[in-house]
Amino acid sequence: MKMGCGCSIKILAGVTIILLVLLLTGLILGPLGSSLLGIKTPSFLNVTKPHVELPSEGIFHVSGFSITNTLIASWLTIIVLIGLVYVCTRKMKLIPGRLQSLAELIVETLLNFVKGVAGEKHARTIFPVVATIFLYVLTNAYLALLPFFGTIGITGHDGTFIPLFRAANTDINLPLSIAIISFVCVEFWGLRSLGFFRYLNTFFNFGQLRDGFISLFKGKIRPAISGIMFGFINIFVGGLEVLSHFIRIISFTFRLFGNMTAGEILLLVVTFLVPLIASIPFYGLELLVGFLQAMIFAGLTLVFGVIALAPHAEEPAHTS
Amino acid sequence: MEGIGINLPLLIVFVINFIILFGLLGIFLYKPVLKTLDERQARIKESMEQAEKIRQETERSEEEIKAHLEKARKEGQAVIAQATQIGERLKEEAKDSARQEAESVISKARTEIQRERDKAIEELRTEFADIAILAAEKVIKETVDKKKHRKLIDEVLKESTPFKQK
Repeated sequence: MKMGCGCSIKILAGVTIILLVLLLTGLILGPLGSSLLGIKTPSFLNVTKPHVELPSEGIFHVSGFSITNTLIASWLTIIVLIGLVYVCTRKMKLIPGRLQSLAELIVETLLNFVKGVAGEKHARTIFPVVATIFLYVLTNAYLALLPFFGTIGITGHDGTFIPLFRAANTDINLPLSIAIISFVCVEFWGLRSLGFFRYLNTFFNFGQLRDGFISLFKGKIRPAISGIMFGFINIFVGGLEVLSHFIRIISFTFRLFGNMTAGEILLLVVTFLVPLIASIPFYGLELLVGFLQAMIFAGLTLVFGVIALAPHAEEPAHTS
Repeated sequence: MEGIGINLPLLIVFVINFIILFGLLGIFLYKPVLKTLDERQARIKESMEQAEKIRQETERSEEEIKAHLEKARKEGQAVIAQATQIGERLKEEAKDSARQEAESVISKARTEIQRERDKAIEELRTEFADIAILAAEKVIKETVDKKKHRKLIDEVLKESTPFKQK
């Protein structure tokens, strides 16, 4: 480090100057600076004005079904992910090579994460779903940062530009699909581990209502009234609980969709306003956001799954 | 819902996509890797158990060896002690027998000497008597006969104690 100090400082200074020049050029000559200073933006810096389209756009149609750019991106994600995984786990050995170590690292980290929350008993049940959600969301998010996303495209019927690839997470259907799968898995685990009636019991506590009616038949008016009242309140709370499970789908969907769409729009806008290098930090931010969103989606599925698998601490009271 | 693009067929395709990904990841990632991890864990556990077993065995055999050594040492000591005892005894016996032999030799020698001495004395006495007789004859020529002389001298000699007693 000490030896090549002068040289590396020179290089560092040079790189910094170049970066600054690029940044200033972008800042002054880009749409932001030019509109403020009244200079005309040179054509080579004129990035097309971003137009935000929330629904994904169809690229071509197969017998009435429109293959959208987000669908293509999600296929790309699957191909990349499976290709990578296939290469890594083609020859599994007890003493791992580099690629196998990578695969093991991913699986082991995720498995430990799941084990940490779900415990040894349920980890293997929950793990595949959680890991798949994590890898899918993460790969979708990271692939979307590659340059060919949003740049290569076709011209649509009305003359608008339609990119061939668009971040799959920014199509509401994809977060919704994962949210539905997460919901179905959570409810399935709950039903399977507890059985239908016991699982229903975790929502609705009929105990107090029943006790109330028993008291009524015995002629005890006061406990009967309070029992029946609280019984109905319990049922109402149970209804809210059921509702909250469905609301999870919506919150899952819009959390991911919102974050990813906002990130994409942020990148587009920054790139439009200040062309050249100003968007690089935002790419870093997007890396973080993508990781976080994948983590949150997988983590929440994990937590909901654990709650469904392991019954609540408060068992329905059978004795009055 | 059209505004943000919820689209049922697309949703279904995405669900199918996810299921496909889930299945493929299961086949190509989770199953083999988890299998390998489990296998490795089992192997590590096994080898650690084996190592523990070997360690215990080593300890046990070490103790056995120690016990053997201790036993051998004790035996050796016992043998040495016995040998020393035997040697001591042999020495004592040899000493005793030597002493006895020496004593017997001495006593034999002593009796021999006694015998020799007695013989010498006897011889000397006879010789002396002869000489005396001769001398007496020469002194008193034929006055007394030989037999009488002899008797006389014997009496004298008997009376003269120095030759009689030891």
